[in-house]
Amino acid sequence: MRDYIFLYINGREHKVSGEQAFVPVTDYLRYELGLCGTKVVCAEGDCGACTVMIGRLENGTMVYKPINSCIQYLCQLDCSHLVTVEGLKQNGKLNPVQEAMVECHGAQCGYCTPGFVVAMCSMFDEGKPLTACQIKDGLTGNLCRCTGYEPIVAAGLAVDFAEWEPISKLYPAENMLKQFKEYLQKPLHIKSEGKELFVPVTVNEACKFKSEHPQTVLITGGTDIAVNMNKRGLVPEVLLSTSNLPGLSAIDSREENGRTVLEVGGRVTLKQLEDYISKLNEEMKYILWVFGSPQIRHAGTLAGNIANASPIADTPPFLFMMDAEIEVSGVNGSRKIKMTDFYTGYKKLALQPDEMITKIHMPLPLKDEIVRLYKVSRRQHLDISAFTAAIRLKVDQGKIKTAAVAYGGVAAVILRMTAVEEFLIGKEFSLETCREAGKLARSEISPLSDVRGSRDFRLALAENIFSKFYHETAERQLVCQ
Amino acid sequence: MSIVGKNIPHDSAKGHVTGESIYIDDIPVMKNELHVDYVGSPYAHGKLKSIDLSAAQAIPGVVALYTHKDLHHNRLGPIIQDEPLLVEDEAMFVGQPIVVIAAETRAALAKAKKAVKIEMEELVPTLTINEARERKEFLDREYAVRRGQVETQFAAAKHTLEGTLVVGGADHFYLESQACLAVPGELDQLVLHSSTQAPSEVQHTAAHMLGLMQSQVVCITKRMGGGFGGKESQATHAGVMAALVAHKTKRPARVIYIKDDDMKYTGKRHPFQNDYKVAFDDNGVITALRINYFADGGAYNDLSIAVLGRAITHSDNAYFIENAELVGRICRTNLPPNTAFRGFGGPQGVITIENIMEEIATYLHKDSFDVRRANVYGLDDRNTTPYGQLVQNNNLPKLFDELLVTSDWKKRQQEVREFNSKSKTHVKGLSITGIKFGISFTNTMLNQANALVNVYVDGTVQVSTGATEMGQGVNTNIKMLVADELGIDPDWVIVMPTSTEKNNNTSATAASSATDLNGSAAVNACVKIRSNLADIASRYFASREAGIGAYPDGIKFENGLVFDERRPDNKMSFKDIVGMAYRARLSLGERGHYATRGIEFDWTAGKGSPFLYFTMGCAVTEVTIDRFTGDLKVDGVDVLMDVGKPINTGITRGQLTGAFIQGLGWMTNEELKYTDKGHLLNYSPTTYKIPNIQDMPARFNVNWIDSYNTPNVRGTKAVGEPPLVLAISAFTAVKNALSYVSGNEIPCISTPCTNEAILARLCYYESLNSGSAPAVNGRGGSRDAAVVTGGNGDSDAPAVTGGDGEKAAANVTGNGGDTNAAAIVKGLDGNQGTAAEQKGAVRVDYFNAAGMPVPAVKHGALRPLSESVARAYSGAKLRTGGPTAAGAGGKKS
Repeated sequence: MRDYIFLYINGREHKVSGEQAFVPVTDYLRYELGLCGTKVVCAEGDCGACTVMIGRLENGTMVYKPINSCIQYLCQLDCSHLVTVEGLKQNGKLNPVQEAMVECHGAQCGYCTPGFVVAMCSMFDEGKPLTACQIKDGLTGNLCRCTGYEPIVAAGLAVDFAEWEPISKLYPAENMLKQFKEYLQKPLHIKSEGKELFVPVTVNEACKFKSEHPQTVLITGGTDIAVNMNKRGLVPEVLLSTSNLPGLSAIDSREENGRTVLEVGGRVTLKQLEDYISKLNEEMKYILWVFGSPQIRHAGTLAGNIANASPIADTPPFLFMMDAEIEVSGVNGSRKIKMTDFYTGYKKLALQPDEMITKIHMPLPLKDEIVRLYKVSRRQHLDISAFTAAIRLKVDQGKIKTAAVAYGGVAAVILRMTAVEEFLIGKEFSLETCREAGKLARSEISPLSDVRGSRDFRLALAENIFSKFYHETAERQLVCQ
Repeated sequence: MSIVGKNIPHDSAKGHVTGESIYIDDIPVMKNELHVDYVGSPYAHGKLKSIDLSAAQAIPGVVALYTHKDLHHNRLGPIIQDEPLLVEDEAMFVGQPIVVIAAETRAALAKAKKAVKIEMEELVPTLTINEARERKEFLDREYAVRRGQVETQFAAAKHTLEGTLVVGGADHFYLESQACLAVPGELDQLVLHSSTQAPSEVQHTAAHMLGLMQSQVVCITKRMGGGFGGKESQATHAGVMAALVAHKTKRPARVIYIKDDDMKYTGKRHPFQNDYKVAFDDNGVITALRINYFADGGAYNDLSIAVLGRAITHSDNAYFIENAELVGRICRTNLPPNTAFRGFGGPQGVITIENIMEEIATYLHKDSFDVRRANVYGLDDRNTTPYGQLVQNNNLPKLFDELLVTSDWKKRQQEVREFNSKSKTHVKGLSITGIKFGISFTNTMLNQANALVNVYVDGTVQVSTGATEMGQGVNTNIKMLVADELGIDPDWVIVMPTSTEKNNNTSATAASSATDLNGSAAVNACVKIRSNLADIASRYFASREAGIGAYPDGIKFENGLVFDERRPDNKMSFKDIVGMAYRARLSLGERGHYATRGIEFDWTAGKGSPFLYFTMGCAVTEVTIDRFTGDLKVDGVDVLMDVGKPINTGITRGQLTGAFIQGLGWMTNEELKYTDKGHLLNYSPTTYKIPNIQDMPARFNVNWIDSYNTPNVRGTKAVGEPPLVLAISAFTAVKNALSYVSGNEIPCISTPCTNEAILARLCYYESLNSGSAPAVNGRGGSRDAAVVTGGNGDSDAPAVTGGDGEKAAANVTGNGGDTNAAAIVKGLDGNQGTAAEQKGAVRVDYFNAAGMPVPAVKHGALRPLSESVARAYSGAKLRTGGPTAAGAGGKKS
């Protein structure tokens, strides 16, 4: 069995084995290869100074995406091509994005700049101009403390595409593709100094390995696990990376009882889901827009957001409200678990040691259902929620027929607010009803205070969100969006 | 053609965009180099009992461990040397260094940090301004500026208002954390590569603490990945630790703070708590003002005296205050010593008077523009500051009047009013604030600089000054000034790393004045070189046929050419003249010195003219608040400034936009939350939220007026700090918005205006209007938490995970999701809560005056809100008075 990780960095082949397979990508780049352009500031994916592009084989071609390299470990990078800021020049000269950043004063102290440049090169890879809004959306994951961002947006608007060369042209894919296709056929196994890494190529191999190694930490996007490894002392003895598992990266849909149900594979990233769902559901589109950053959404998966089991995760309220189901696979085949039964306590999942999430069955709202999703956080973008809510009502002739309400950030797990739902059904859809529902919701919960918000803040939000819901849906008071 | 006034790229820009620019952690590892870190105090206040280093010493790869006993001298501080670098007997803040560790690998260093055993007795900490006031814990003396008869005016006034404004601190959040690489040389000499705004400070502090002569230590600063004041005095700690290890072991030693440690253990912007009383007439013209400033200085003096001084001297801001009593004290708390942060106390002074202006307008039901305009400094009268300086070249009236028009103030105010009368979901606010920022160090001695300009025989130039580059573009400005002086292409001029070897006894790059001081010094050096060159050129251009003799004063340097102005068709290249001068054995390297003249200040009298000039401006900000969530959106910002004649328009604009957005973070989202043990809770960008690109105002107009009257190099004005202060307009806009829902009350809110703080105010005002209990729990509200079985937070609530035997992440599949993961492995960080917390019960430690409980979290309870925060929350404590102010306090007339 192969006992080294095979990857490319800026067009050059690297084989990584032993202890180094377990180090963060940034350590390897900075201290092993001397590629110090990639900066580490927060080491938790919240500032973007470490942004690099990662290319992987997708449908026969290399596809490049921006990610936070500080929360990637080398064990996740088998059969990929990493492009860092050092690898962006065209023919030894600044590329058009770099030129624009220079001309527009997009860099001051320069520490965030490589991250911005990589993120920008990634979003401009197609060689087409973008609007200011699109530029901002592409740079949500990058913090700058000097410029106030205005010069960076100006640089994005000033890129001259006449001489633009996409990454695929800078780095011909032929050799990589050939090698990756070959390497992806067989699993990879590294053991070093009491640590073990397994990279399977079938789900069966993965489940079997998990059943034999119950302490296995399963890693896909790594946007949560890697933070725990960087900051909270998590030192996994056994890691299983899903990076080479085929067949889990697709989104399909089926019709069931007149309702569209999405089938989201276990490796589908939040970015994939965002692109897919943006035409189907405005609310979920919004939630994914404010979810983390492009770098996080390109790495993190829906399955991971569910499995991390945070009571303030952004996608589960929707899944709770829509009665989604989680399909898990183990050595004895697969089964479905209701989303509402998936969490058995704070950070506890209804999963057996050999099981892993392979699919999420995600019903979508009907046209005649009123649905709103809420995320309240200190900062709109790239922030973790203090409070989340999902409300779905069906109103017929002024009366509420069905109601589904889920709250996050108010208890150890995300809650379906069943008492509130029962209260709502049969009532007139009015401000008065919604106010009462809010008060009831408030009395049903007892949140804690933490650094993201006090108990009182959360209580007030739990109550107010229903009035907001009424004004926004019934009265269309969407004055400020 | 003069290059000054043009827009050319930052001199490091190409390196920045390619990742080639080098910061301390990017310097290649040297042979034998040691990694250095430290172990600090676990308590905000504690008595050191014993240190056991034996276990740490035994770890392979650990090379040295040092305590205060290994230092020649153990006190540092930029003004008063009162801070021990390494704790001797009493630790005064969490993380105060106790043991310095040097190891060959990062792994060994990490192990050693855990193996150092420190026994301490926990003492009662002082964590708030109020606690410090009660316990009379002050640093240094009282500082004051007084003019006129304040009490008499209060007694005679038609209207008075009084209140307390609580101003939050902020983390600098420079992206490159504190860092230093120390390289030992021969004969106990040291070279320190430091990320500092003050290389001389690092140099002399290291020399002093190691018992070396200053001449034995060189400090070099190529650049910083941001500074913002945080590396003015506090780069010394990392610097001395690296120097100590290098000096003792004779091996290179590098200290790189990780971001979390940097945020937890270094000083921040000073939180202030300002009690004020103001008297004014029917037009809102202030007749008397008293402010009692209380600054949270942290554990040691650091720069607090100067910060408080600048707050006091900026109490007036753009407004003439005839009778003033401006008094301040620095409270000693058990937090890391607070330090310089862009604005340096100025913002904390300005916000007080701008808060008062907004309250006067609300109280009098007047347009807040009109109230401010009525108070703005006059041109011919009403033009002296409370400390006696004449406000010269006053562009404030012009700026206010121009912005009134360009921001469309009247129309937008009408629109806001209409919007607020209709919208059931949102409330808008509009406000304007000004700035008159004094330029010069208030400590007169610091207003000097020296520069070294070397011309090489190919005609290219190296410049070295005491200014340090942290992104603000000072090197680019200096490069342009030098290019202009010598009449050459700026590409021929390189500004070299700042080094104490080339420029001695330098002042910190601070007070927005690096270009003013160092640029002037560089110009003075160029004048000498030009004089040498003109001397030889004049002889060359002297011509018998043309009938002109050698006339050095007539020699011009332009576009890389040199000529006699009387015969401009006969030109010679700069390079050739340089070659000629070299062959003639003339000096082609000169030093220039510059000292600002005519500025003095005397704190014993509280009088003087401390500032060479004022940078001025004003800004209009419009905000929208979500009535249900408290979410704040900054819709529009119009900035208009007098920045003199910018040297580089692109760099000036970058300073304006950058400073404003940084100020906006301080006013809106950036909140420092501590436990009741003095531990900072939000010590990384996951929980400490600086502005994101999406927080840029939709309308962001930044402009400056033509202004030619500044007594400064090339008529330029300092621009680093002043625009930050203009973000206070967002705070006053929030107050304005709240005034639409606050009924008869004058709205109060502390900074930062987070959604949580705003929602608490909205709930309070709603309860007043409806007469019902506020939606925010009152005392005795439903805070019984018996039914709760878990936490609602994420990683910050491991205390609520209960005592189950959950296996470490074994059942976690996939892993996407938001980046802030919960601690999957319980108790890893050793922060298991109490049993009560594990059951999810809320331990309420404190109620503020509005009845809001402040419950327990991870490390214990949140730091109790200070009394005046509570006062602000209660909203009812604003007292109005004066002969005609009738009725209960706190009401609008």
